[in-house]
Amino acid sequence: MMILHVFLGALLLAIPAGALYYFDKALLRSFGVAVGRMVTQILLVSLIVWVLVHYDKVWISLLWLVLLAALSAVLVLRRVKLPLSKFLLPVAAGLFAGALVVGLYLLFVVLPVHDALGARWLVPIMALLVGHSMTTGILGLSTYQSALKADEQQYEFLRGNGTSHLKAVLPFVRRALQAVMSPSVANLSVLGFYAMPLLLCGILLGGQSPINAFVLTLMLVIGCLASSVISLAVILWLSDRQLFDKFGKLR
Amino acid sequence: MLEFKDATIATEGKILATGLSFIARDGELTCITGPEGSGKTTLLRTLMGFLPVESGFVSVDGELLTVLSAPVFRTLMVYLPQQVQMLAHQLTPPDAPSCEADGYAVWNALMPQAVKAEAPPPLSPEDIFRLEEQTLLGAGDKSIVIADEPAANLTPELSRQLLVMLRQQADAGKTVLIASRRQLLVGHADQVIELKVKSE
Repeated sequence: MMILHVFLGALLLAIPAGALYYFDKALLRSFGVAVGRMVTQILLVSLIVWVLVHYDKVWISLLWLVLLAALSAVLVLRRVKLPLSKFLLPVAAGLFAGALVVGLYLLFVVLPVHDALGARWLVPIMALLVGHSMTTGILGLSTYQSALKADEQQYEFLRGNGTSHLKAVLPFVRRALQAVMSPSVANLSVLGFYAMPLLLCGILLGGQSPINAFVLTLMLVIGCLASSVISLAVILWLSDRQLFDKFGKLR
Repeated sequence: MLEFKDATIATEGKILATGLSFIARDGELTCITGPEGSGKTTLLRTLMGFLPVESGFVSVDGELLTVLSAPVFRTLMVYLPQQVQMLAHQLTPPDAPSCEADGYAVWNALMPQAVKAEAPPPLSPEDIFRLEEQTLLGAGDKSIVIADEPAANLTPELSRQLLVMLRQQADAGKTVLIASRRQLLVGHADQVIELKVKSE
């Protein structure tokens, strides 16, 4: 029965495919490849979630969270172009810590969840938090690292005038935080009217009432913001030894 | 008082300066001079603890300068680095980047591109002087003043005003050590140390 529904749904692809066949056959090929990749990726993710929900063990969910943080860290470092060997652990630990702290707070304190550590709640919430922290982590880490390079004189000036290392990096932490928060500030003000959050749609499709969906969306968006700031702080703190030598000079 | 005694400075296996010996005394304006590449900046950066002393020693008020002691000594120092004109963000912190609402906020996971921060625009001579003045006057009772080419980007008039300020610091009993090739500063120093370009 489900296969029939999938087949009927897939028939809708005939509309864009037909249009492309008529107007742009070259793009049709790319379209086909993209659809194939999308189906494969979503299927893979769904299978992973199915396993997690099926076994529903806390340790399996946490192991999955560790792997997710590590994989996300690889993606961050590829974008920022920093060596995996030196920065994988700091970035993965930052993503993991931000998601874990905020995720557990949401699950145990904020949301009316009976089985807080159950995979059905834990997995999507943690995935959402890690995903958001990953995107903001790219902005934060790249800003921090490139600002230190471009403005090394300011760091040296502060150090030379007796400021501790921790205080001398604060102007650069500020810039990283600006880079993390600015897109969020710009996006939050249009969330709902100009941009329909997929999150809200997902919760509605999951059977929640509109009010519950609103509250859940709100809490999860706030959680994403908190998680991204915690992740950034941990990432920058743990990356410090890789960025500076023992004389306080940028490597 | 600052002392270099037969100091050799090296980093990453490359010797930057050898056999440096001199004393910069309290209440005096000491000027390191010499052609470009002679090691003036290297010397000052070593004194700040940013570069290691390979052999010989450097002392501050009789205490040995090491990697561990350098941060403590720096609390006694006022430092004007060579590229002071690049400290625009010290005078005016940068604003947050302006962002348009787009796809990588909170409702999906499109990955943004990495950001590449640009160097700040150079300061004008007036702003350089303002920053140097703020730094020197805000030093309080710090006993050592170190300035690397402090007049390099100043007008002749501002250079004279800077010299007056440096002289005031020395007259207040501080150790003032500068690196400069400006004749105005070299000519008014109590002690001039001339470095030569190290032959390969």
